[in-house]
Amino acid sequence: MSISDSSGLFGSYSLLSGTFDEYFSGAGTVRPEFRQAVASLSTSSVDEFQRCQALAERALLNQGVTFSVYSDNRGTEKIFPFDLVPRIISSRDWKHLDEGLRQRMRALEMFLSDIYDGQRILQEKRIPQELVLGAKHYLPMLRGIRPAGGVRVHIGGIDLIRDPGGVFRVLEDNLRTPSGVSYVIENRLVTKKVFPQAFDRARIQRVDLYPSRLAETLRSVSPVDAAETAVVVLTPGPYNSAYFEHSFLARTMGVELVQAPDLFVENDCVFVRTTRGPRRVHVIYRRTDEAFLDPEVFRPDSMLGVPGLVRAYAKGNVAVANALGNGVADDKAVYPFVPEMIRFYLSEEPILEQVPTYVCAREEDRRFVVEHLSELVVKAVDEAGGYGMLMGPQATASEREAFRKRIESEPRRYIAQPRVELSTCPTWIPEARRVEPRRVDLRPYILTSPAGPWVLPGGLTRVALVSGSYVVNSSQGGGSKDTWVQKGEA
Amino acid sequence: MISRVADHCFWFGRYLERTESTARMLLVTQNLALDGELSARQCWRPLIIVSGEERSFVSSHGSDAMADAEAVQGYLTWDEENYSGIKRSIEFLRENARSIREVISLEVWEVANELHLWINSPAAAAEYRNHRYGFFRHIRFVSQLCLGLLRSTMLHDAPLNFIWLGVLLERVGQTARTLDVHHHAFTEIEEAHQVVETSLWLSLLRSCSGFEPFMKRHQGSVTGEAVASFLIFEPRFPRSIRYGLHAALWRFHEIRPPAEHALPGAGTEERLKELEHWLRAQKAGLKPAGIHDLLTHVVDETAGICNVIRKELLGVG
Repeated sequence: MSISDSSGLFGSYSLLSGTFDEYFSGAGTVRPEFRQAVASLSTSSVDEFQRCQALAERALLNQGVTFSVYSDNRGTEKIFPFDLVPRIISSRDWKHLDEGLRQRMRALEMFLSDIYDGQRILQEKRIPQELVLGAKHYLPMLRGIRPAGGVRVHIGGIDLIRDPGGVFRVLEDNLRTPSGVSYVIENRLVTKKVFPQAFDRARIQRVDLYPSRLAETLRSVSPVDAAETAVVVLTPGPYNSAYFEHSFLARTMGVELVQAPDLFVENDCVFVRTTRGPRRVHVIYRRTDEAFLDPEVFRPDSMLGVPGLVRAYAKGNVAVANALGNGVADDKAVYPFVPEMIRFYLSEEPILEQVPTYVCAREEDRRFVVEHLSELVVKAVDEAGGYGMLMGPQATASEREAFRKRIESEPRRYIAQPRVELSTCPTWIPEARRVEPRRVDLRPYILTSPAGPWVLPGGLTRVALVSGSYVVNSSQGGGSKDTWVQKGEA
Repeated sequence: MISRVADHCFWFGRYLERTESTARMLLVTQNLALDGELSARQCWRPLIIVSGEERSFVSSHGSDAMADAEAVQGYLTWDEENYSGIKRSIEFLRENARSIREVISLEVWEVANELHLWINSPAAAAEYRNHRYGFFRHIRFVSQLCLGLLRSTMLHDAPLNFIWLGVLLERVGQTARTLDVHHHAFTEIEEAHQVVETSLWLSLLRSCSGFEPFMKRHQGSVTGEAVASFLIFEPRFPRSIRYGLHAALWRFHEIRPPAEHALPGAGTEERLKELEHWLRAQKAGLKPAGIHDLLTHVVDETAGICNVIRKELLGVG
């Protein structure tokens, strides 16, 4: 494509050196597979685009597609900033990701079943035993319990980034309560509503089938016949930052949204209190932290949770998605060993690349990390959302010193990785009234039933809206984009 | 249906009706005050009393403020301490809606959410300052739209039944209190000019959306007794006490069919039925002097029924 074709919206677009750009292979040169899509996006003038962007934000606010801001006790809600320029993934790239993600999920699923059973992988010394059994979220009391339906990661979210060579790499696994899928669906709805002229209708895979696939997945692990199964979504309540999503999923699946006080356990079965008396519950999609699930097991001092839930779970009378104890597999110090899990359980070579990782629990790694703090990104193994992190290259000397001390005193809690230059995607910058490159990541969602994993064709593209930033988390200035996965050639 | 969700539905209905009713009364009273036949106090004081907030209003604004149109309107619209005021009612109605987002329709949710966004926006404050009539009319219009959308976009099953039960019981209480306060005030006006008295009764009808329905029944002859009797007993007027109780009982039977004795709700059924029967029996032989006692009984019993519903069905207490 020549320069003249990238006029209009992309007329003044200049690449960020040292990064892979999702749209352009060079200045003014659109990647061949996206030419048609970019051509229809370019037909908008800056004014038109600005109007559509404002309409989109208005629509999200009116519909209450918001998250609660923790720091504000008035319960303020904000929209998750939305950028109307879509992220596009070619069908070839997607085929590779789809295969790689399903392979990874199968291995992680087998790893969890093994760790809560015979621990063969530890006995054969393929992963250091102390690293796994020392993980904060490993729950030894669950060993020997097979969850109803046998699945443990019903819903997985795997964060991917793309390096300067255009290679997708797994950054981390989210196997407990990954969130964000509601934005995938709402972003698509809004895009179609306010920007229909650009929507490349014939060539983009749909995402709106997710709720029904999720409902099927949940019913597939029910202890009773699928037709008689009562599924509920368990939320901490309207003040939780992800409440919109909890309510969205209950609504789009047509099931009840409950809070812990609505549930109780009798004879090791779970019931919900209704206006017509108690009613049995068979599958719980819980969006609460497992530490607040059952005070009998996790926090005897807590008023929160459903006493007896874990007994009912252990007896197989209720399926809980995701299973309890999954945190041992998405621990960041266990992450470097996922390729080894794939080789061990599946006898396959990993399809997806990872990011090289130093595990501070290992002495030689730790020594390297503390000597190279200014080049590395350090992460606490059990935190998420961009918290407990040191961005070495941007940090001050005193911040680095504070992290050095923390690493020395609790090495098991930290890992370090070289900072990967995230890929960039054209993004509307309202102050500049033009499109500029901003860094993005990608979180695809994978549903697993006893029949195996299925990947939603799309996912959440998060974007660091602040110029120069690498942090895409909504709590720290991140936004999101609609993610278009192109259909393969017919 | 989950008890906690039913509780939110019930309160969503009550706050929605309260919002609409407060906006409508403010609108009508503004109109009445313009006629200039009544003192400011005679116009505005009843609103404070109907809202049930006389004590807290007097303690924060002083008794004289009941003659101050701006103070009364500000209190009933914006005051954060006034839990039955418009701003607070909208806040509560939207909070309840958000808690039951998965059971109400998208249309109902959008309207409730947009009302909440609007009342908190500078545009609403400017409208209140510059175009008071338009301000109240907007609130009234949007809440009526919401009431209509409930019935035209939601499944007619348990959630709607609980919302509507809340709407009806709130409405019964509002009509009873409004009539009681006005009835009392009119008897205080000594040797009122007949024109004045008639205009008062008409404004009362308007504040209950009953002007035209009343005229259709009475062909222009307006007396205090006829108006009171209409608002209490008219079986076909949707804001009369009798209609409200009858409809509430019907909704309740949808939620809990009388034949299903094992279901919770026996106490509610009994009390609601009793009040409905009692009211019907009062029509014959009601004297003007007995109206206050009748209305007081309705207000007390309605509050009592709400408490029994909460205990038996909504998992509260």
